[in-house]
Order: sequence, then structure tokens, then C-alpha cells
Amino acid sequence: MQGLLILSVLLGAVLGKEDFVGHQVLRISAADEAQVQMVKELEDLEHLQLDFWRGPAQPGSPIDVRVPFPSIQAVKVFLEARGLRYTIMIEDVQSLLDDEQEQMFASRSRARSTNTFNYATYHTLEEIYDFMDLLAAEHPQLVSKLQIGSSYEGRPIYVLKFSTGGNNRPAIWIDTGIHSREWVTQASGVWFAKKIAQDYGQDPAFTAILDNMDIFLEIVTNPDGFAFTHSKNRMWRKTRSLTSGSTCIGVDPNRNWDAGFGKAGSSSNPCSETYRGKFANSEVEVKSIVDFVKEHGNIKAFISIHSYSQLLLYPFGYKRESPADKDELDQVAKSAVEALASLYGTKFKYGSIITTIYQASGGTIDWTYDQGIKYSFTFELRDTGRYGFLLPASQIIPTAQETWLALLTIMEHTLNHPY
Amino acid sequence: MQLRRQPLPAPRPGDPYPAAPLLALLLLLALQGAAAAPAGSGEPEDSGWRQDAEPPRGLLSQAARAALHFFNFRASSPSALRVLAEVQEGRAWINQKKEYKVDLVFTTELYNPEEGKEHLGKCSARVFFRNEKPRPAINITCTRLIEKKTRQEEDYQLYKYMKQLKNLLDVVSIPDSHGHIDPSLRPIWDLAFLGSSYVMWEKTTQFLHYYMAQLSSVKQWKTNEDAIDFDYTVLLHEFSTQEMIPCHIHVVWYPGKPLKVKYHCQELQTPEEASGTEEASAVAPTELSNF
Repeated sequence: MQGLLILSVLLGAVLGKEDFVGHQVLRISAADEAQVQMVKELEDLEHLQLDFWRGPAQPGSPIDVRVPFPSIQAVKVFLEARGLRYTIMIEDVQSLLDDEQEQMFASRSRARSTNTFNYATYHTLEEIYDFMDLLAAEHPQLVSKLQIGSSYEGRPIYVLKFSTGGNNRPAIWIDTGIHSREWVTQASGVWFAKKIAQDYGQDPAFTAILDNMDIFLEIVTNPDGFAFTHSKNRMWRKTRSLTSGSTCIGVDPNRNWDAGFGKAGSSSNPCSETYRGKFANSEVEVKSIVDFVKEHGNIKAFISIHSYSQLLLYPFGYKRESPADKDELDQVAKSAVEALASLYGTKFKYGSIITTIYQASGGTIDWTYDQGIKYSFTFELRDTGRYGFLLPASQIIPTAQETWLALLTIMEHTLNHPY
Repeated sequence: MQLRRQPLPAPRPGDPYPAAPLLALLLLLALQGAAAAPAGSGEPEDSGWRQDAEPPRGLLSQAARAALHFFNFRASSPSALRVLAEVQEGRAWINQKKEYKVDLVFTTELYNPEEGKEHLGKCSARVFFRNEKPRPAINITCTRLIEKKTRQEEDYQLYKYMKQLKNLLDVVSIPDSHGHIDPSLRPIWDLAFLGSSYVMWEKTTQFLHYYMAQLSSVKQWKTNEDAIDFDYTVLLHEFSTQEMIPCHIHVVWYPGKPLKVKYHCQELQTPEEASGTEEASAVAPTELSNF
């Protein structure tokens, strides 16, 4: 009992937030060097417990300082006596914080159903994982959540399975977010999940697909990277694995597959964005999919989604030689991009990876194709460089909608061409 | 570096989109009428160039992008920035040193498209990708997208708006993580893009091309003298290596005057060729400017 009390006190101290009641933030203007010096003197008065948000630098640059309530009187007297002009930027820091908390809570309050979930904004990992649980709970006959592994940093790796029955039916695999900074892809993945649940039983063409095949959808293929894009670096691409012998972190998960691994088209430099890793499948995020695909044994179409560039690509990336099914894949790609363009006129180019984008070795769909999954495609979604990875949230839904039409084309073709 | 100025040939009256053979003629005439040859070399029409019947697929687009970066920089007009729409035709020549000469025709769009209005311009360009030179040499002419008077007026309005902007030092990350640019800050983004165009022109090669990914900070924004004096950092996204290159850029802009640019980027860690094995090299800053 006493242990519990001590624990709760300690927790209180650790989690306890400071109180800012009555604190003010002042903006001081120092007109010349002499005045800057005066503010520096103020800075030295430790007993005032001043917190400079923007410290004294040069004349003309604003100086912002948070002043605890007990020191306000003294600081104002100091400034006024020396003729230092100031304004009160924040009257009461605590009430501002209280307002902010309220706002944050209001806008990020958890969606209680996938019908109130906001598809037109970017979400955190936690929000996407909550969404998956909501969807599975709302459609227990259709949707189940599988864990195929754990990330390097220990986050669960989830795949949504959409199935209307059968036993290990031929399946379609879709993944988004393998490169974490490509945010429109995870956001589209969330939209696809909802679309699938919605359209089954409503849209005849799609119902036919799901009556005969299963769909596996991995929305956050690189959860560690994704969390990092939210917390520290929006432009993070790779995994977050540590590489012994280097201070650089992360492996490019789209260079880590066992297809032409190590050949030209990837880097051996751990600091590079296209670092291939020490060996194929070194990344658990990649290995988890490899294991799943091999174990399942009946995947007939594999679609890996990236951004940006507006391209639909088929193998190979690591070699110039055309895949045996080149003509068919090219035809399917052509129909798919036509379907995509039919919605908003968005133009996609298509072709093999190596001739359309660049040489890339150890790539996902080269491996899946070599495994015998004929309909292996990679998408590069919007845009073509205006916003790049920072695609405005207003474009999420249009992007997902048009891409869905291309996916349908591929899925239908797969259904009608069993092999 | 001296700014090369090239007189733009007058647009042909009537049909703005002449058919292909006429276009070839136009290209020929434009090139003959163009000003001094690229810095440091004579026109190498016959110095070992052989036509490359199957140029690497990306080469024409790379050339178009380099040409457009140069065009945007030379125009020095934040209200008339253009982006690549489509490459329509092109030919490439290669020499023994594996340098490329590219002739091409492509269409452009306004960087800031107006709702409902389709502005499609057409450009013809000749681009030299040389191995030793610091930047691709470019001859480019484009059909006019906006009336000159309109452009000048818009630039002046932008200038007036920028002159009264304050407190930009707390600007970080435009666009934000969600791709949002506050409309009041859009002109800053455009001016940053204009400055970045100079940098991207210099750095584009037959293998490397860039996009401006983000304006990461404003270091200084001075408007007390006549010109806008803007010191900032950007992230440039290099496509073939997928690297994010931080660059520190300083521009001085006054409407109607050529843009002045100074910059300093972190060097790419990998050599230019399609990456195979590379040695980890120290980060070496390059400092280049035109003033």
C-alpha cells in the first residue's frame, strides 16, 4: 500500500505539468546595442526565473520572454526605468494553454465510427490503428486484422484481410506507406479499406471480385518510419533500424528485397536514402511480408503504392531484360491509367521501372514477380513535383478515388485471368 | 558570372501552335537568331556529336526541367513561374565524353494556375549537359503565357505586399506537414521557388534533377531598402538518389530587375552516375553565386 502511494507521488511528479497561472509573455524591443545589453543584464538575474523564448540578439530583433507571476512587477519596473519598450503578448499563459488543450481535444477526438472518421486529413499511427479496429468491429463478417510481425522498434505490423469465405482463396495484396514520408499513400490506404467495406454488396463488379478472391491491405508498411515523420522528421523515408559501424539510421525497404539485391540501383552507404541494408530481408518490415506471401502461397496480384510522380510501373527495376509477361502487363497498365484519368483527368505514365523511372535493385515487385505473382505493379501517386511528398490534405480523397479505379482494373483483370 | 540575355523572337501571328515541320523551322530560326553561344565553348555542331537514336528515357524530361529552371530564373518574375506540362518532341546527341546535347519542344503550365483558366505555353530549347561545366548551358524561347503588362503589374503588387510583411522570422516549414501553405505566405514561397530555380538549374545534370520540397526557415527578410532581401533555407529533393538536400539561399529581388542569388548547399554524398557502390564522402559545401 505504501509502495503504491510512493509510486503515485513519483508518477505525479513526473507527469505533473507545471502551472503557468498568471505568467505573462512580454515582447521587448531593444532599439540599440545598449538596450540589448540591458536585456542581457535582466537575463542574468536568475532569481526572476525568466524563460526567454527569443533571446536578446541584435537591435531590431524582438525579444520574447515568459515571466512568472511573482516576477512580473520587478521586470516591468526594470524595463520602464531604463526606457525599454515592451508589449504584453500573452496576458495569461495558463489560460492560453487551457484553450489549446480544449481545441486539440475537440479536433482530434477519436472517431467513434468509420463513418465519422475524417478521410480528408492526415492521421497519426495511433489514429490509423484505431481506425482498423473500428472497421473490423463494424464488419466482422468481412474484415479481420492480422498481425504479420513487429517492426524494428517493436510496433505491431498489421494487415487487414477482406474475405467473404472460402479457404485460402486466390488473393490480391495492396500495401501503402512502405516509404514513410509518402503520406498520401497511407491516407489512401485508409480510404481503400473503407471503400472495400462499403462497396461489397453494393457495387456488382466489385462484389464479384470479393466473392471469388480475398484482399490483403497493409496500410502502414513502415510504422517506425511513419511515427518518425510525425515526431521528428517529416521527410524520413527508410526504416529506423540501427546499422552497426555507422551513425546513420535506416534501410530503404524498397531496396532490401531479394531480387537483384546488391546490384546497381541501390546504395551500400548506410547514410544514403537508398541504402540496401547488410543483406536481403534484413529489415523485419520486409521479412514479415516475404514470410506472409510464401506461407499464403496463393497471391495472384501484388500492388505496392508509393508517391510521387504519377506513374504505374511493372518489373523489372534491377535489369533491362523484359519480364516474360511484358505485353500483358503493359496492356493492363494502359487500361488502369486510362481508368484513373477518367475521373479527374490526372495523367499517369506507365512502363517498366527501369525504363520509366530509374534503375532500382532489391525492389518489392521484382521479388514478387520472380515468386510467380504475375500481376505485380507499383504505383507512384500524385503529384509531379509541385508539392511532392507534402501533398495538401485536400487532395487525399481525389487521389484515393482515382487510384481506386486503377486498382479495380487490375483486380478485375486478375479475376478474369486466373493462372 | 555574367547573365546572358537573349532577345526573345517575336511570337508568330495567328497560329500559336504551328504544326511539326513549321515548328522545326521555327526552332532552327530561333537557334540561329539566338545570342552568344554557351559560356566557354563555341557551337559544337561538328565536334564529335552523333545522334543518340534512343536517348535514355528520362533525358528529355531532365533537359526540359533544366531549361525551365533557367527560364524562370532569367525571367525573375515570381508571378510568372512555369512548370513542365509535357515533352512533345526531342532529339539528343552524344559525344565521346558522354556529354549530351538535347533539342526539345515542350509545353508548360503556370506554377500558380488560376481556377478555370488553362494557360499552356510552348517552349523550344537546346540544352547542353557538360561534364566539367558547373551548369547545363541553355538556349530557350517560349511563347508568352501572360501579357507583359499584366505580369509587371502582378510583380509590382507582390512587391508592395512583400514590403509590408513583418515577423517572418518565426516562419518554419512551408508547406507544413499536411501540405498547407497559408495564403498570406504564398508569395514568400513563390519568391523562394524563384531563388531555388537558380540553384536547381545549376545542379541539374543528365542524371540528377530536383524539386523544391519545403521552405524550412526564414533567416532574414529585409525590405527597408528598395529591393526585397530574402535569406532562407530550403530542402531540395533530388529524385534519382531520393536525397533531401538542405540549401541556404540568399536572394535580392526588385520587380523588373534580374534576380541576384547566392547559395550554399550540402553536397550529395553519392557520385553522379546511377548509384552502384559509392564511398562515403565528407559533406563538402559549395558556395556559388551570381553577385
